[in-house]
Amino acid sequence: MAGQLKDKEAYQRMNYLYQAAHCVLSQNPENMELARFYCFTQRTIARRLVLRQDPSVKRTLCKKCCSPLIPGVTATTRQRRKNRKTSFTVMRCLSCGQSKTLLNNPDYCLWVDRPEAQLEQQKQPDPGPSAKKQPKNPKSGGSASSQSAASTQQQRKQKQQPSSGNKKD
Amino acid sequence: MEEALVRAAIPRDLGKVLGVESQTKSKAEAFTQAFLKNSIHQPTRHDLKSMLSHKAVILGYTRPKKDKSKRNSKRAKGLNARQKREIKVFQIKPEHQRYELFLPLHGLWRQYIIDLCSGLKPTSPQFVQQKLLKADFHGAIITVVRSKCPSYVGMTGILVQEFKHVFKIITKEDKLKVIPKRNSIFEVEINGFISHIYGSKFEQRASERSAKKFKVRGTIDL
Repeated sequence: MAGQLKDKEAYQRMNYLYQAAHCVLSQNPENMELARFYCFTQRTIARRLVLRQDPSVKRTLCKKCCSPLIPGVTATTRQRRKNRKTSFTVMRCLSCGQSKTLLNNPDYCLWVDRPEAQLEQQKQPDPGPSAKKQPKNPKSGGSASSQSAASTQQQRKQKQQPSSGNKKD
Repeated sequence: MEEALVRAAIPRDLGKVLGVESQTKSKAEAFTQAFLKNSIHQPTRHDLKSMLSHKAVILGYTRPKKDKSKRNSKRAKGLNARQKREIKVFQIKPEHQRYELFLPLHGLWRQYIIDLCSGLKPTSPQFVQQKLLKADFHGAIITVVRSKCPSYVGMTGILVQEFKHVFKIITKEDKLKVIPKRNSIFEVEINGFISHIYGSKFEQRASERSAKKFKVRGTIDL
C-alpha cells in the first residue's frame, strides 16, 4: 500500500498534465506544440516511474509525436472494413501522420475491466462521447476537471466501458 | 441567411440531449478558424509557380524497387531524432497568444495543488513542501525574488514550459521570458501559502524531478 501512495502523486501529476493539455488546446486550437509538450512530459513521467495507464488515456495520445488526439481538432477518425465482420477505427494524427488502428469488437473486455483485476470497489463508468466532448469546454473545464480529477485519480483502476464498443456506435 | 443559421448556438434542450455545450462566440470562431486552417493546408504544398517552372524531363525510365514494407514497420515506432527536428517548443505563437488565455490554466493548477495538498496549510508546512517537490508547476504564477542577476528580480508570470535549466514564463505584457533556474530564487504562492524555490537545486527536467529523490547537498543560498 505504501508503494501505491508514492505513485499517487505521480498519477495526479500525469492527470493534471493531461487536463492541462486539453485546456490549452481549447483556449487556442492553433498552438499544438504546448499541448504536445505537456503530453510528452506526461509520458516521460510514466516511463520513468513505470506506471500503468488506462488504455482509454493511452488511446488518445499519439505514440509517435505525443500530441493529444482529439477527433476533429488534432486527428481524423475513419471507419474501415476488412471482412464483413471486422471493422476498424483508424485515427490519424494530423501533425505527424501516424495512424492508429483500433478493432471494433463490442464483446472485447479490457484487462482492467475484468473483475479479477479490480482490487478496489468499482466506480461508475463514464460514457465515451461525453468524455471526448469535455476538453472543448473551457468554462466547465474548471468545475468538471475537479470531478474528473477525482474520477480519474487512480487511472489504473478506473472502470470504463470498452471504448472500442463506443466508437462503433 | 444561411451563415447566420450556421453560426447560431445550439438550443438548450438539444444540447442536453446530445451532451454538448455550445461555446461562446469568440471561442467558436477561434475553433473554426483553426479547424479550417488545419483542413485546407493542401494548396500551400503544391506551389503552382514552382511546379510549372521546374518541370522534370524523363530521359530514361527505371522502376524503383519497393523494399520499404519491412523497414516501415520498424520506423513507425522510431521517434526521437525526427521529432526534435520538428521542434516541439512553440516559437512565434506567443505574440499570437495572450496572457488571458492562460488564466484558466492557472485556475486548473490551483485546483490541482489544493487537491494534492488535501487542505491548505494543515499546520505542517513540511508536508506541503514535500509534495511540492514532486508537483508540477506548469501553469503556476511565479515571481523571481532574489537573483544574482538583478535584472531578473521582480519578474512575474505564468510558467508555460519547464526545461532542464530554464523556465519559460509569459508575463502580463504578453511577453515570453526565458529565465534560467540557476542562481535565482522563485516564489510560488498558493492561497496565502508562500513557498520559495531555490532554482539552483531544481536543475532537472520536469519529469525527472518527479522520479528522483532530493539530497541536501551544499549550502542553501543563491
